[in-house]
Formats: sequence, structure tokens, C-alpha cells
Amino acid sequence: MLSFLDLLNKLDSMNESYKIISSSMLYWFSQKKWFVFSVLLAIFLLNLSTPIGLTVPGYHSLIILLMVFTLVTFEPIPFPAIALLTLVLQVLLGVAPPDVVAASFMNDAVLFVMGSLMFAIAIVHQGLDIRLAKVIIRLFGKSKRLFLAGLMTISAILSSFLGEHTIIAIMLPIGLSVVKNIDTKQTDGRNAVLLTLFSVAYGTIIGSIGTPSGGARNVIMINYLQEFSSIHIDYWEWMKHAYPILIIQLIVAYFVLQFAFPTTLKNIQIQGYKKKVAKSNTRNNINHLFSSIIILFIVTCWFLFNEQFGLGIIALCGALIFMICGMVSWEVINKNTNWGVILLFAATISLGFQINETGASSWMVEKFNVMLALMPESDLNLSWPFMAILTGLTANFFTSSATISLLGPMAIELQPTDISFALSAAIASGFSFLTVISSPTAMIIYSTGLVSTKTFFKVGLLMFTSSIVILYLMSKFYWVTL
Amino acid sequence: MNILIAIGGKEYSKPTLDLGMKIANSFEATTTIAYVGKKISQFSEKDVSVVHQNLDDRELYRPGVRTLEWAYDFLESKKYIKKNDSSVNFNDNLIIDEENSRMRVLLKGSHSNKIDLILRTGEIIDQLRSEVESNSHDITIIGGGGNKGMHHKLVQFIDSSVMVVKNYSVNKKYKILLPVNNSLGSNKAIEIAQQFAKSKKMAVEIITVLENKSSDKELKSILKKTEKKFTNAGIKNNITILEGDPVKSVVKYAKDDSLVMLGVSPKNPILKYFFGSKPISIAQQCNCPVLIAK
Repeated sequence: MLSFLDLLNKLDSMNESYKIISSSMLYWFSQKKWFVFSVLLAIFLLNLSTPIGLTVPGYHSLIILLMVFTLVTFEPIPFPAIALLTLVLQVLLGVAPPDVVAASFMNDAVLFVMGSLMFAIAIVHQGLDIRLAKVIIRLFGKSKRLFLAGLMTISAILSSFLGEHTIIAIMLPIGLSVVKNIDTKQTDGRNAVLLTLFSVAYGTIIGSIGTPSGGARNVIMINYLQEFSSIHIDYWEWMKHAYPILIIQLIVAYFVLQFAFPTTLKNIQIQGYKKKVAKSNTRNNINHLFSSIIILFIVTCWFLFNEQFGLGIIALCGALIFMICGMVSWEVINKNTNWGVILLFAATISLGFQINETGASSWMVEKFNVMLALMPESDLNLSWPFMAILTGLTANFFTSSATISLLGPMAIELQPTDISFALSAAIASGFSFLTVISSPTAMIIYSTGLVSTKTFFKVGLLMFTSSIVILYLMSKFYWVTL
Repeated sequence: MNILIAIGGKEYSKPTLDLGMKIANSFEATTTIAYVGKKISQFSEKDVSVVHQNLDDRELYRPGVRTLEWAYDFLESKKYIKKNDSSVNFNDNLIIDEENSRMRVLLKGSHSNKIDLILRTGEIIDQLRSEVESNSHDITIIGGGGNKGMHHKLVQFIDSSVMVVKNYSVNKKYKILLPVNNSLGSNKAIEIAQQFAKSKKMAVEIITVLENKSSDKELKSILKKTEKKFTNAGIKNNITILEGDPVKSVVKYAKDDSLVMLGVSPKNPILKYFFGSKPISIAQQCNCPVLIAK
């Protein structure tokens, strides 16, 4: 009898087209191995008996969750394909009927993701960075260290309202301009470049926890809270909880960066940049004036009318006004909007809803509590740190919004009457300091080629740990006073 | 003929560029110099693209552009290309034409050679495979800095001859080491070696490895025919017969000044994927540049 190897060797004598076909199939397999793995894993799990205490739809929703985690982490297929697969599987595996899946596919959180991405493109398209650079130089241009602190602070404040993907696109050119010709082969020069880039990056990352509009994960959590618990939190309420954390984190980040990248800053060219910025003519740019008015209007609406109209509709209004005024074309928005991400968020939020509806999140929480009960007895409530560290770490390998859309229902289920759990989960998922894939900001500074994954992780570990401690202390001692 | 030279960081790309251009010039080939930037997660790809467009507008070019500028200057300094208009510098010429993950850095000035500067972002094998497929490149030249698995995948999945430039010194005098056998790939390697040796006036060492098999006689005959071919073409050569394991013998025989050119294995692709092949093992183990012809 022919062995498998003999058979393959026999095939050698076949024609070239066989080799081309088998080579193409091998390439497909090498590119899609994680997809094949996730399908095989799902088939294996579907053939096991449903765990005790869990309904069949609930069990199937968790299998889909596992598939989504694998596919989003390793990206073997495009995001829109993962989104469609999530929806199709929910119906095929009997998690929910088609109408229910369709209804959960679109809500205010999805509209917010869509609106904020389009709004961001409209804002970035206006070229506000030079005007902003003038303001930063005027306010913080007296010394190089003050300038970098100012860059970080302004990045954080703006990012808290307009989202990190908007602000990193505006602030990064300012940061790169002052380190343009620095020789990175010398330690002092390299540290000056890294200090500048990390100041901008950490500013925008930290800022994104400040208000609901700072990141899609915040809006997703607000949405889940409205659906799954009796707790209600509005824009101002969120700010009261999160902004003090933001301020403390900024101070800590400043010192962490000074410690991680000691430099004399002698190569940073503030004066040269100041002259360049002064030369650029922004005075009569009417678009800048209109842009600022639209941004202020939208932020005010978020403050005042978020409950009436929803954050998503207001974000969409922002993009709409820019388009109606002719300040950005649909072609530009269409070309630069990540429709795949919008679809994916819609699908994962839909799955999140089903995980809650089928009782899968309650089952997970039950198991989580059983696991905690096995721990040695302590006065500390261990479920909070576990939950915060788990969401924080997951977000670093899976991105924050996707983490919250999938783990959010479980965080609420842990303490349905205590706002601190849900809020902590959303805020901790914004601590994307460890990996470059965790947030657009991290990926953007990595894509400059000046920051390595190793450096990002090393500094990020210090920042992540201190952020979790700050969050814990604030939730324990400050939130209870509100 | 189309040649693709893939470059990475400035420090390690000099040898790849130098050897790549020597081969390209000897074939009077159209050359594409490609820089493959870091893979961007699908979550952030549009955001990164918007930021990069912003940086280009402010003349703070993305890192790959600066590497391509350096490559262009290096080739000019080595006189591999000649600018027809010396007053035009790289920045004046720079236009970036973007289509998905491929960007062409266009040069407005005229040049003596046809050179394309391409920026790509993504997984390196995927990007080089796509570049070769869409532009029908005949030889892909890449530095030897990557891991062994990457070289394996390059040879396996890229539909062109592949050269891995390892431990190459720009100023050293090299000779071609040409292991021959009865495969189709070996014929292709003989063609490339002949053209390159003739153009660069290099000596060629033709070898074959006998394994005490029925094909030994045929291998000796191929060796003689190849010797005759090179002698008739006026190329200085000598022949050597080695015995034993082909991989070990070739790796042992190759010196630091060898430029190994050999044919791709005719083995089944599935077997090659899981167990490798002799040419792939030679490319991984030799401490000199190796070209695997397809």
C-alpha cells in the first residue's frame, strides 16, 4: 500500500499545473491558518455537551465569542468578513432569530463609532495643526520641557472630547516637526525623539478616558448600562468620575517618560519650528474659524443634549455639517473611513447583547465568582482588580472597544448596582500602553518606524501598572464621595 | 527582464542594493526598489493612512520614503544610475501615488535607468508576492537579515527566482559557485550565471554532487556540457565533482567570496512546505549570497 509520502512523491511526476494549484493552496493555508484553527475549534466545542447551568444558545454565543477573539487577534480574514460571520453564526447556531440579530446590529453606540470616525476625518482634513502649534508655542514655548508637557496636556484635553484617532493625526505632525533632523543613532537624540513621540501618544491615550466621546468603548459601556442595569450615567457624570484620573495619570506619565527617556533635549528645534509656524499664513483661513465653531457646537451638544439625541446622532451631525458646508467631500470621508471597523463593532455589540440575553454572561460571572472563592480569604474585594486587570490586558491584545463590546455585559453582571465596576472596566480598557496593536495611537507612532514594540512595552508596563493603581485608589476613595 | 530589490533599514540594505544593481545592470533589467513597511492592524489602517497623508503634506515623510531617498542617493553615488538633470533633487521630484497598500514614489526628473521606487505596507511575504505577481518580476533580491523561516517562505511562495544576500561585502571580489543537476531550475540558474559572469567578468566554479545513485552518470554529463557552454562563451571556469550529501557538500565548499547560484527543487510543494528542500537548506546554511533560480 502506498504511504502518504509515496503518494506525494508520485504526484511529483504530474504536470506543472498540479504544482501551481498545490502551491496556491498551501499559500492560502499559510495565510488563513488561524481561520482554519478557529473553525476546527468551534466544531470541536459544538460537539461537546453543553456545560451545566448554561443554555444551548448561551453556550453557542460563547463559542462565537471565542472565534471572534481568535479572528480579530490574528486577522486571517478581513474585518467585514468577521462581522458578517458573527451575524450569520448567531442565526445558524440558534443564538437568536434573524430579526433579533438584525435589531441588535444597529444602536447609538454603532452610530457613534460611525459618526466619530467621519467627524474625525472632517476635522483632520481642515489642517488645524499649524494653528494649534501656534497656540502651543505661545502658551508653552518658553522652554523645551514645558513645550513637551504642553504637547501632552493639549493632546489629552482635545482627545478627551474628540477621540484619540482625531487628535493623534493633528498632533503627530507637530511632534515630528520638532524632532525632524535629530540623529537617532546617539542615545540623547534617540531619547529626545522618543520623549516627544510618547508625550503626544500618552497624552492622546490618557485623554480618551476623560469623557464619553473620548472613545467608542465609553459610549458602548453607557449603552450597555442603559440596557442591562438600572444605572444611568450622562456626559457630565462620566467626566466627574474620569477627569481627575486623567489629570493624575498625566502627571504620572510626565515623570515616567522623563525617567524612561533621559535627555538634555538640546537637539529639539523649538526655535526653528517657531519661525516656520510664524511664517505660515493661517490668519485668513476661514475654514479654521468655521471648523472651530462646528467642533465647539458639537462638544456643547454632547454636554447638553446627549440624553435627548444620543452621542452617536450628535457625532453624525458634526460630519454632516462639515459636508453641507462643503468643507469636506463625501469622497474624502468615504475613502478614509474604516467601514470594516464599523461593521465589526456593530457585529460584536450585537453578540454582546446576545451573550447577555442568553444568560451566558451570568454563567461566566458565576464561574468567575467560584474561582475567586478558591482564593485565600482576604479583606480586599478581589473581583474589582481581577476585572480591571483582565479588561486592561485584553484590550491591549484585542483593542479597547472590541473588548468592551464583548466583555462589557460581564463587567456589568458582576455588580449590576455598582457603577464603579462598569466604569472601571471601560476606563481600564483605555490603558492601551502595552502593545502597538491596542489603539490607533499606538499603531500610528509605531508606524513612524521610530518606536519599537519592545520600547513601547517596556515603558508601557510601568504606565499600565501605575494607571491600574490610580484607578483602584480613585474608585475606592474618590468615587464613593460623588 | 524585471528585477525586484527589497530593502529594509538603511544600515543593512547597502549590500542588497549593490549586488542587486550589479545583477540588474548585467541584464539591462528594469529595476524596482521596494521598501515594505510595518504591518498595520486592520483596526488602525485607515487612521495610519490619514496620518501618513498628513505627514507627507508637511514634508515629514513616512519612514519608507526616507529609506528610498537614501537608496536613490546610494545608487547615484555608486553610479548605478545617472540623473540627467542634476539641479533636481529628491524632494523636488517626490510625488506619492497611493493605491491601497502600494505606493509609488514618482520621480519627475529624467534618469538614465528605469528605476521604480515602491513603498508597501503589510506582511513582507504577502507584499513581495503581490508585487511579483502584478509586475512579473523575474528575480527578487532580499537581504539575509530575516529569519530562516522567512527565506523558506520566500522561495516557496514567490513566483520568481529569489536571491538572499547574506554576508556580502561591496568591495570584495566574488566568484560564482554553480551547483548543477538535472532539474529545470538548474538550467535557469546556468542561464543567469552565464549572463552575470559574462557581464561582470567573473570566474565560475561549476560543481555537481554525486550521491551514488543511478543519476550520477547524467550529472557528470551535465557538468561537462555546462563547462563547455561557459568555455565557449569565454567565461573563466573550472569544474569540481563532490560526493556525499548535497546540502552539506555545497555548504562546506562555498566560501565567503562565493556567490551561489542554483536551481529550485522540483520536489512536491507540500513536501517542500513541511520538510524544506535542498536549495532552501543551502540558502539557510551558507554564509554568502545565494540565488535560487526558478
